[in-house]
Amino acid sequence: MADKKFVFLNFFYGLYRLNMNFTWKIGGEAGFGIMTTGLVFSKIASRSGFHIFDYVEYPSLIRGGHNAYEVHVADFEVTHLKPIVDILICLNKETFEKHSSNLNKDSFVIYDKKEFKLEGDYKKIDVPFKKILAELKGQGVMKNTIALGASLAIIGGEINELLKIITEQFEKKGEEIISFNKKFAEAGFNYAKSNYKKFLTNWLTKKNPKGSLVMTGNDAFSLGSIIADCRLYCAYPMTPSSSVLSTLAAWQDKTGMVVRHAEDEISVINTALGSSFAGARSAVGTSGGGFALMVESISLAGITETPIVIFIAQRPGPATGMPTWTEQGDLLFAVHAGHGEFPKIVLAPGDVKEMIELTTKAFNLADIYQTPVIILSDMLLSESHRSLEKKWLDDFVKRYEIDRGKLINNSKFNPAKGGTKLQIKSQNFLRYKITNDGISHRLMAGTPGYFYQANSYEHLEDGHTTEESKERLKQVNKRNKKTITYLTKHFQLPKTYGDINQAEIIFVAWGSIKGSILETQKRLLEKGKKSALIHFNHTYPLDKDKIIPLFKNGKRHILVENNSQGQFGKLLQQETGIEIKEKILNYDGRPIWPEEIVRKI
Amino acid sequence: MSLIQDFTGYPPTWCPGCGNHGIGIALKSALVGLGLNPSTVFAVFGIGCSGNMNDFLNAYAIHALHGRAIPNAIGIKIANHQTKVIAIVGDGDCYGEGGNHFLHACRGNHDITVVVHDNSVYGLTTGQVAPTARKGYKSKSTPAGIIEVPINPLALALTQGATFVAQVFAGNVSQMIEIIKLAIQHRGFSLVNVLQPCVSFNKINNYQYYQKRVYFLANEYQKNNFELAMKKVVEVNKEKFPLGVIYQVEKPTFTDQLPQIKKEVLIEKDRFTDFSSLVKEFT
Repeated sequence: MADKKFVFLNFFYGLYRLNMNFTWKIGGEAGFGIMTTGLVFSKIASRSGFHIFDYVEYPSLIRGGHNAYEVHVADFEVTHLKPIVDILICLNKETFEKHSSNLNKDSFVIYDKKEFKLEGDYKKIDVPFKKILAELKGQGVMKNTIALGASLAIIGGEINELLKIITEQFEKKGEEIISFNKKFAEAGFNYAKSNYKKFLTNWLTKKNPKGSLVMTGNDAFSLGSIIADCRLYCAYPMTPSSSVLSTLAAWQDKTGMVVRHAEDEISVINTALGSSFAGARSAVGTSGGGFALMVESISLAGITETPIVIFIAQRPGPATGMPTWTEQGDLLFAVHAGHGEFPKIVLAPGDVKEMIELTTKAFNLADIYQTPVIILSDMLLSESHRSLEKKWLDDFVKRYEIDRGKLINNSKFNPAKGGTKLQIKSQNFLRYKITNDGISHRLMAGTPGYFYQANSYEHLEDGHTTEESKERLKQVNKRNKKTITYLTKHFQLPKTYGDINQAEIIFVAWGSIKGSILETQKRLLEKGKKSALIHFNHTYPLDKDKIIPLFKNGKRHILVENNSQGQFGKLLQQETGIEIKEKILNYDGRPIWPEEIVRKI
Repeated sequence: MSLIQDFTGYPPTWCPGCGNHGIGIALKSALVGLGLNPSTVFAVFGIGCSGNMNDFLNAYAIHALHGRAIPNAIGIKIANHQTKVIAIVGDGDCYGEGGNHFLHACRGNHDITVVVHDNSVYGLTTGQVAPTARKGYKSKSTPAGIIEVPINPLALALTQGATFVAQVFAGNVSQMIEIIKLAIQHRGFSLVNVLQPCVSFNKINNYQYYQKRVYFLANEYQKNNFELAMKKVVEVNKEKFPLGVIYQVEKPTFTDQLPQIKKEVLIEKDRFTDFSSLVKEFT
């Protein structure tokens, strides 16, 4: 087996264990079910008791381009891809040409020799896709099912797991379609099993399944927003955020959320601000370009003190950039978005689990601080599937409490704490009353006997427009105070992985890049090098006084980011004065992988 | 029962003689007439002289961004669809900056009332041309006269699916009250285009200009006839301005078609907690 390692003492996790991992990859022409097949494989691996991390490559086209889907399978938690592909399924010649550089002589290559001649020294598995299709009278797109069946035979997977998923997939279409599709899976499986006995392995032999979930960052945001009782999600489709829109739209009959696909991103955010003003937890989702259109309204949320959660799945820009690829290029844009000065919170989850934690937290923070909260994802986190322990999620859901801050809620809508009842004397409610923590009470709009306005102009405590110097200062100071309150009450320091004191190298990073660095640390440890990672997911605002002590003089710090300008490095310097001179930056639209980091150190 | 003064906020800052005074009084009278009070009205104001009514009218209100009042109003309506939601906007605001939102709000038959102060000029920025100004209109931004032909908001509303299209004249407060009442009572998207003189910056479309060119639709006018309405709304090309309800039909509103809020308004529903039924998809 290609990448089987015996690591006797793994200090990193403090566990003694036997590592087993391999990479399965399928490629073919866009429109031939590559994405679906890849996800089916990830689910089979998960249901068989393994951890997975997958990654898709696809151009911004519907038909004709090249698609590839890679799954890293292991019996330990995986957070990245590995360089060698152990089993490559070529649905066309281009797949081999594009990905052969990741093969070695032990790699299996599944292909149809009637389609192309395979040169080179590999474990070649010729499966007659075309012949099987013709015999079973299948359509071209079913080739992927044959190939998936064949690959399962080689790696010792259970055909029953695939047959079960086919049943689930085609449940609505009836028994006839189900059994028709199953025939192709079985044909591929049986062909490989009987013709390539010498190659059969037990890589995917079923273990005790732990009840793991297979989720992307977008799935996790969607689920997190439901857990947080978000009632309105508004969006305009934009890769790589669009699957949040479709997932939440598909769920709305069940969840009762209203999902609006508005005419443009300006309408998107203003719809959400309207519903938030009326008392519904509201969120929007987009990528950089769509967010750019929302920016004026972020500022509106800032001055009107309207809670809003904004999900941004970054992709490489500028402008249309590379829509289906990944980059951490919009951090400073998000941090600085909006004219004028107002508080804003930017959170950047490092993985699917953190996405659930931070999304649910974001809705609470938006309500507590009555200001925009941004969740920064990127294509890598948004579209890659990861294993997530179901038990962890179940426990998290039980632990999570909705906190709507200083919302005064006299209607029956009261999910958890609601707000306390206040004695209000004037009908004209003091929506922007000066307080010590900068946060004013927010009366549920529509409460009988009162009224107030959310004013985009500078305003008095009662919301009416003002241009008086004294009142202006009061309101600016009040809004600014919310940042101080946040830093005291809710800001969380970066998590450190590894021992900072003993580390020779300390990586500094934020967001989705976490997985690659964790794996880099393992690789370095195998070479006897101790390292640590300081990983920020509460990316803005930053608490200087708490952060400075984490950065010890004389240590070798390396900033690792998926952008060309080291944006977090700049932000850290701006906010804390800490300058990290050594940088590893990757900005070709691909994630930075561990071997690349190791090579560049 | 509420009174006019319940709705009265700070004293208006509009120019003496401005049509906005009449619109403000008509709006408050209509709200009182409908038995509403400041706690049962949601108002969204655009930016411009019209939007400055935010400080003069008591209600649960958003003083929005320029052009963006309509999506705010749609959001309020979705969250709490049993309340009355009114957007008070200007012509530059609604037909220029926010034109896209206007079209799509018509399409969605969102149950909001949009009252547009149409004075063909930007008053708050002291006299630049608005999208409803006639071709050749000279202004601070178009000293040689505007090249573009005017937008036809009534025709746009009609063709994009609005179910209530009306026009009134700021010089006739009693008709404004009646029409605004009808617009608020209408279930679905309602547009009230108010022809309004700007006494400071528009020297052409003044009270005399409109008085000569407006006329009331006859009592027997068939307001549910789309073709007839189309004929009426293009009369503006001949500088004729019909006043009254030009078009009205009953169709399901946007929120009528959301099954998830059939039984309860969105903000009053119980929290959804059956997470395991969603999580199944990820196994």
